[in-house]
Amino acid sequence: MRRNKRKTDLTGYVYIAPICLVVLLMSVVPIFISLYYSFTNFDGVRAPVFTGWDNYAKLIRDPVLRASMINTLIYTVVTVPVQTVLALLLAFWLSTFRQGRWSQFIRGTLFVPVIASSMVAGIIWRAFMGPTGLINEALGLLSIPAVTFLDINHALMSACIVTVWRNLGYFMVIYFAAILDIPKSLYESADVEGCSFGQKLVYITIPLLRASTFLIVILGTIWSFQAFDLVFSLTQGGPGFSTTTMVMTIYNTSFKQFNLGYASAQAYVLLIIIVLISFVQTKVLNRSGDGSI
Amino acid sequence: MRKALKIAWMLLLTGITALMVLPLIYMAMMSMTSNFTTTVSWDFSEYSFTNYERIFVSLDFVRYFLNSAAVVAGAILINVILGAMAGYGFAKKKFPGRNALYYGIILTMMIPGQVTLIPMYIIVSAMGLNNTHFILMLPVVNAFTVFLMTQSMMSIPDDLLEAARIDGANERITFINVVLPVARSAIVSLTIFTFITVWNDFLWPLVMVSDNHMRTMTLAVAMLRTNYGTNYGLMMAGATLVFVPPFIGYVLLQKRFVESIAMSGIKA
Repeated sequence: MRRNKRKTDLTGYVYIAPICLVVLLMSVVPIFISLYYSFTNFDGVRAPVFTGWDNYAKLIRDPVLRASMINTLIYTVVTVPVQTVLALLLAFWLSTFRQGRWSQFIRGTLFVPVIASSMVAGIIWRAFMGPTGLINEALGLLSIPAVTFLDINHALMSACIVTVWRNLGYFMVIYFAAILDIPKSLYESADVEGCSFGQKLVYITIPLLRASTFLIVILGTIWSFQAFDLVFSLTQGGPGFSTTTMVMTIYNTSFKQFNLGYASAQAYVLLIIIVLISFVQTKVLNRSGDGSI
Repeated sequence: MRKALKIAWMLLLTGITALMVLPLIYMAMMSMTSNFTTTVSWDFSEYSFTNYERIFVSLDFVRYFLNSAAVVAGAILINVILGAMAGYGFAKKKFPGRNALYYGIILTMMIPGQVTLIPMYIIVSAMGLNNTHFILMLPVVNAFTVFLMTQSMMSIPDDLLEAARIDGANERITFINVVLPVARSAIVSLTIFTFITVWNDFLWPLVMVSDNHMRTMTLAVAMLRTNYGTNYGLMMAGATLVFVPPFIGYVLLQKRFVESIAMSGIKA
């Protein structure tokens, strides 16, 4: 009997075939077609003509692409540390309270923005941050002059604020679960030694949360490089190109200008960036041991 | 003294939490006042459902709501069925090339949907599948589904399947009556995850849908932003309608929602 279980069973192919087909058609095949397009002048109508490295040479000199890459980089460099630190502080703070209904309610409420669509988040905050929006009204009550959140100088930072608002609950939940796994006895002995809130955070919590922090930073970085919905509905990439993200540039090049060949080359740059980030992630995670079939 | 400090901390945290949901409350309040400014009205006697009426009656939102509902329902069905099958196949069957295929699929998790969008647009157009509900269901059927279901099916004991076989159950009966019930928890997670992802999806439908009748809710609200960009009340009514279905689900099944959405990041 025991040996029978390990016998080759070709019905396995029948079970996996449908989803393999979907993945093949939706991910694997397109990624090669994209590569081919990126070496052509394809415009969606006429047959693509091979143009060698032309598109890639153009990438280097493209001011819009450069602007959007810089925007995406700033957006990543701002949102990732801010949301990581805030999520950690919130989770740690919450963990110091007795875990009852109140704590659960607070965690539940902090998670609510995560289930809202990012497109909706952009729509809300465009009004919320508007010249007569609630934020400026509140500032007015404190007789602070109104802030033009969505003008050319502030729009990118405003997009960062909205992003942190939307992601915070998600990362807080990941941290919170990890903090609960830290043995209570560590904190108890720290209490006996007379450690403060800050000392416990720095010497116990943060070192033991290294794996979660790593996950949160990588995930936040990948999400930032893929940013589209939220920024699109908040600012549509403007004013000017001040909030145009990489994905927005790819979208505009392909579906506004129908320069599909060139857009594919832009998309490949994004792909390479994301694969590199994922590669670092798998490398480090594998070192800490992970399951397999 | 200690207790007073504790309560002060609790109040502060409660205040911060309230600030986090304030934008959503603002959205709901604005949606019930018909104004063209972003100023929120505190005069509750002015509140009405005029914006919602207009959205449903003259702006065809019933249709968009049903489109989204149909796409979500179909996506859940396809994802759960194909996912459960694949999970069972990868976790419990042995066949040549199994590991290579599994890791090959997992590797595709690195490919962002934004990068395959251009060729997909060409392929989908060539097949005449734009403006169909079907094409909007597909992107969520991906490597993450395979990963989630395979990991959960691995915990099904081989002896259980063996026992079913000895009792004379054929493949189909084993899969439906033994495997699916054991994988119930993962199926619920996958359902919730699929619901949130597909309901909130924006870029994929934006590219694949050009026919006004086929708009999903997120597309419809983006359309409000373009066509009625100064009518904030109207836009907020649309935004509220996109937000409410996931929110109701969340209130009812809070724990499962948090688990399902949080684990989506903790993938290979």
